[in-house]
Amino acid sequence: MSSLYAILHLTFLSARRMIWSRQTVLNLLLLVLATVACIAWSLREDPTPERFVAQILLPIYVAFLLPISCLCYATAGIAGDREEGTLVYLLATPLPRPLIYLAKYAAALTLTLIWTLGGLRLLGQAAGPVGAQVVALVSWPVLLASCAYVGLFQWFATLFSRATIVALGYALFLEVLIGSMPGIVKRLAVSFYAQILIFDATGDLGVASAGPHNPAMFLPIAASAATLVLLIATVGLFLLGGWTFSQREYV
Amino acid sequence: MSQGSGHVSDALPSAGTRPRRADGASGGARPGPEATSVVNLQQVSKFFGPVIALNDVTLQLQPGMTGLVGPNGAGKSTLIRLLTGQLRPSLGRVQVCGCDAWRAVAKRHIGYCADADAFYEEMSGRAFVRLIARLHGLRGRPARQRSEQLLEQVNMAHRADRPIASYSKGMRQRIKLAQALVHDPDLLVLDEPLNGVDPIGRLEILEQLRNLAAKGKAVLVSTHILDEMDKLADRILFLCRGRLIAAGSLAQVRTMLADHPLRVAISSSQPRALAARLVRHPTVLGLRFEGETGLIARVRPPHEFFRMLAELASEDGFEINRLRVLDASTEAVFDYLMETARHMR
Repeated sequence: MSSLYAILHLTFLSARRMIWSRQTVLNLLLLVLATVACIAWSLREDPTPERFVAQILLPIYVAFLLPISCLCYATAGIAGDREEGTLVYLLATPLPRPLIYLAKYAAALTLTLIWTLGGLRLLGQAAGPVGAQVVALVSWPVLLASCAYVGLFQWFATLFSRATIVALGYALFLEVLIGSMPGIVKRLAVSFYAQILIFDATGDLGVASAGPHNPAMFLPIAASAATLVLLIATVGLFLLGGWTFSQREYV
Repeated sequence: MSQGSGHVSDALPSAGTRPRRADGASGGARPGPEATSVVNLQQVSKFFGPVIALNDVTLQLQPGMTGLVGPNGAGKSTLIRLLTGQLRPSLGRVQVCGCDAWRAVAKRHIGYCADADAFYEEMSGRAFVRLIARLHGLRGRPARQRSEQLLEQVNMAHRADRPIASYSKGMRQRIKLAQALVHDPDLLVLDEPLNGVDPIGRLEILEQLRNLAAKGKAVLVSTHILDEMDKLADRILFLCRGRLIAAGSLAQVRTMLADHPLRVAISSSQPRALAARLVRHPTVLGLRFEGETGLIARVRPPHEFFRMLAELASEDGFEINRLRVLDASTEAVFDYLMETARHMR
């Protein structure tokens, strides 16, 4: 019972420190820029769901804003403590390391979901009725992708002392590179499954055609399989991160 | 555990690598030191890639104050990190109160005051100590009460509402000490706890550490200021190049350094007659007069010299007013041990 109380306290502490961090400022700045882009888009273009997905949702949100928002908080929890040297205080407590990891994960995931889903809603509103209509349908894919990204980036934080830089490199280069590769290699990218789920969710709006021009290159899988992969990735990455954190020496 | 029972399994370097116990105690029917030890290290080695940071260290710590000294790179930090469960031994076993130090359950017994000057800077000292109390499982009022008690103890209660970022080094050290004590640990490990603390603060902290040792806590203090060790520690661990080269009370270690000349100041009403007798004895390597009544003798081995001096006093009637060993300080012993360790290589 005392461990549960301590873990809750650690979760709240981590969340509070993440909120009042430079990561939040960065997130806010990026969201403001994306919102401005959405407003500009809604003024210039003839807004259709297809165009919103192809010109705003996928390139700005899924490929950029979503992974950045996720890595900001996911790496801040453990990597922040490592960089500041305060991890020693947590590791000196009688809390089992997997529970410390869980507390950090819970804090990062909660904030990330608030940010990514809230940000998505804001962008939809900024893009006008069409945007709002699309955004209402893609919350589930965004939620799943956020969970997978948080698991991945927090795992990075257990492995690398400069986890934020490594995660940025992954999100901006490796993920884009893998996601653009022909064949099944792209199935290693979280964004690939997010795109499949987005196309599936917005199919009734005729958005599927906004997908990659060459379906033979895109090689989509079933939405149910994509959901399953993201769920397994989320759980698997969380367990892997917890195990790594409990085994590694941090000095 | 009484003071005399030995806080450390006393050890000195032998010709080989394994330290031996200075008190010469063997197993027999009596329980070994492991039975009452707060800390038990069994043949512990730690490698970082090809580098051996700690090499085959066996020791036990029992309640009382123990100093940990050694030059830079001796393995002090590695030993401390192994004891506090931040590192796992590559070989051997580290136990605290019978638990593997790496495991979370051992942390209930360990209080750690790290050398690193890291804090949640935006927090106040009070909030920080309270936070650590809560992470140790204390809830609401008990956490608050314990925090206040410790802030009083480290003389920070009236300054604890300011953000830690605004604290002086000494204040930060006090807060670190308070958080290390918040769960009433059996073992308190302090890495350079007096760094940056003003002289008055040093005395206060030393007093607190002595009180904790007197209350039955095992306190391990690592410091590079060897003068402090003379005042502070009942027992000292000497580390050099990853090896435990000596352990025991300062007097024990010094006594066993039989082949190292010792300077002894003797005050006598007959200094010239006494000098004439001393200079003929093979244990006296050198002699000089100091003032009207004083003699400074360089002697080796010390225990034979003291036996001879006692005979001179009792049988020949030499009046010895004062006898003082001049280089039995931690620093002198440390210098000699380091020199010995260099020659062992």
